Amino acid sequence: MTNKMQNEEGRMQNTDSIHPSSFITHPSLLKATFAIVQKDLAAEFRSFELVSAMLVFSLLVIIIFNFALELDVKVRQSVTAGVLWTTFAFAGTLGLNRSMATEKDRGCMDGLLLAPVDRSAIYFGKAISNLAFMLIVEAIVLPVYSVLYNVNLFRLDLIGIILLGSIGYVAVGTLLSAMSVQTRTREVLLPILLFPVAIPVLLAAVKASNGLLTGAEFAEVLIPLNILIVYDVVFIAVAFMVFDFVVEE
Amino acid sequence: MQSKPIALKILDVVSIIVLAISTYLALFFAPTELVMGQVQRVFYFHIGTAWVGMLGFIIAAVSGVAYLITKDMRWDRFEVAAVEVSTVFFFLTIVLGSIWARPAWNTWWTWDPRLTTAAVTELIYIAYFMLRQGIDDPEKRARFGAVYTLLGGVSAPITFMVIRLFRTIHPVIVGAANANQEKMSMNGDMKIAFFFALFAFTVIFVDLIWHRIRLGSLEDKVEQLKLKVSM
Amino acid sequence: MENTPDTSTYMIAGFAVSFITMGIYIVSLYIRSLNLKRDIETLESMQDEKPKSQK
Repeated sequence: MTNKMQNEEGRMQNTDSIHPSSFITHPSLLKATFAIVQKDLAAEFRSFELVSAMLVFSLLVIIIFNFALELDVKVRQSVTAGVLWTTFAFAGTLGLNRSMATEKDRGCMDGLLLAPVDRSAIYFGKAISNLAFMLIVEAIVLPVYSVLYNVNLFRLDLIGIILLGSIGYVAVGTLLSAMSVQTRTREVLLPILLFPVAIPVLLAAVKASNGLLTGAEFAEVLIPLNILIVYDVVFIAVAFMVFDFVVEE
Repeated sequence: MQSKPIALKILDVVSIIVLAISTYLALFFAPTELVMGQVQRVFYFHIGTAWVGMLGFIIAAVSGVAYLITKDMRWDRFEVAAVEVSTVFFFLTIVLGSIWARPAWNTWWTWDPRLTTAAVTELIYIAYFMLRQGIDDPEKRARFGAVYTLLGGVSAPITFMVIRLFRTIHPVIVGAANANQEKMSMNGDMKIAFFFALFAFTVIFVDLIWHRIRLGSLEDKVEQLKLKVSM
Repeated sequence: MENTPDTSTYMIAGFAVSFITMGIYIVSLYIRSLNLKRDIETLESMQDEKPKSQK
């Protein structure tokens, strides 16, 4: 009973606080988003805590793959895409977890929620900074991998696929990490929640990258590319719509 | 909790009867399939459970959305019931498919789109329960559960699409066997067994969901009482 | 007809698994509801005792 009433009150307050400013929501959404991105990046560039952890982790994963798969010249061709995306996915969860956990532990999340900004600004802000971390790691892993295994990964089309794949992964990952950080099991839960939902984007990204690296016909790359775009659009939209429910108190 | 409503009692009896009839139809009424032999009889239950598992998945996503809009706990109970019953049935689908694939395709498992999507969906269900287990506040648990079923509901069809599109480009070894199975012609008696299995499992599904919803309201009652006592 | 393989073992296994799984689930529903009913009883008796002890 009381719970319901509180809920009702909460909702009324919510609409009250949004309504008067709703006609200026658009510019302030952008501004708030970038403020959050700026804050995250500034904090990161001071310590490089997150990026360095993700990076070292990625390199370790690649080394382990090297011995686990016996990456000789023949095998390398066909598994490079798989190895890369597995590495990115694992390093990605590491980053997603950490970036939300610091927010929660230092009480920043409450501060952000209290701030008079649209909740979606928090989502987009966190998603963009998570994406930035992931791209930084990828930008270092790619040349290292190229040097180690003597394959040229510096191709504009491959970078495009990696960008699209990372966007989709981070779009879902940011939403789910905001959820998992509020549960009892926290870090353990994120990959369990994220991987089954992110399977389409990872599969499509692997297929597209593999197609490019093995020099397949363009038509073969086009299908996974389309799926990547569809996935990105759909999940950014869904995450944007439901993020309010995830951070609601 | 009040005693069982009469409608539920009737539904229980009906479920047992339709399950018995469906078993009879599958085991004795339908003719033996010539290529695959007796094991093909598993097919009727396989399809029945798969249909119900998919139905539950859609129901769960829809009631998740309904919960987010209305914030009515009854939708949450409905959603949990649908997911839990579907988890059981999807597990059956996968095991039965595996048992059928062994003699028919000479392998326990193929990375066929339907099988893989079923497995991924089952993992989403399991993740859903792990998520709920980690949250103490019932209201937050319901909210997060609803969001996750919605994400799963959007992702599963894309997974299916992805795997199918890739398989059409890269035909796999079992492709031939797969096409064979697609063409598996059903005669009249087989069709009767097939459609009756769909019907029977739908009835059983509704019955089990109803029971699970009643269990859910018991759970809620216990939670509320615990709060009251501890205060 | 002559090359129809004998796969009845698999069929029996399939139906056995189906019934066992459904059976286990129904039993689990039953046991859980019994436990919850017992919980409700203890909690309600605790609730009845509590006001008396406070007064």
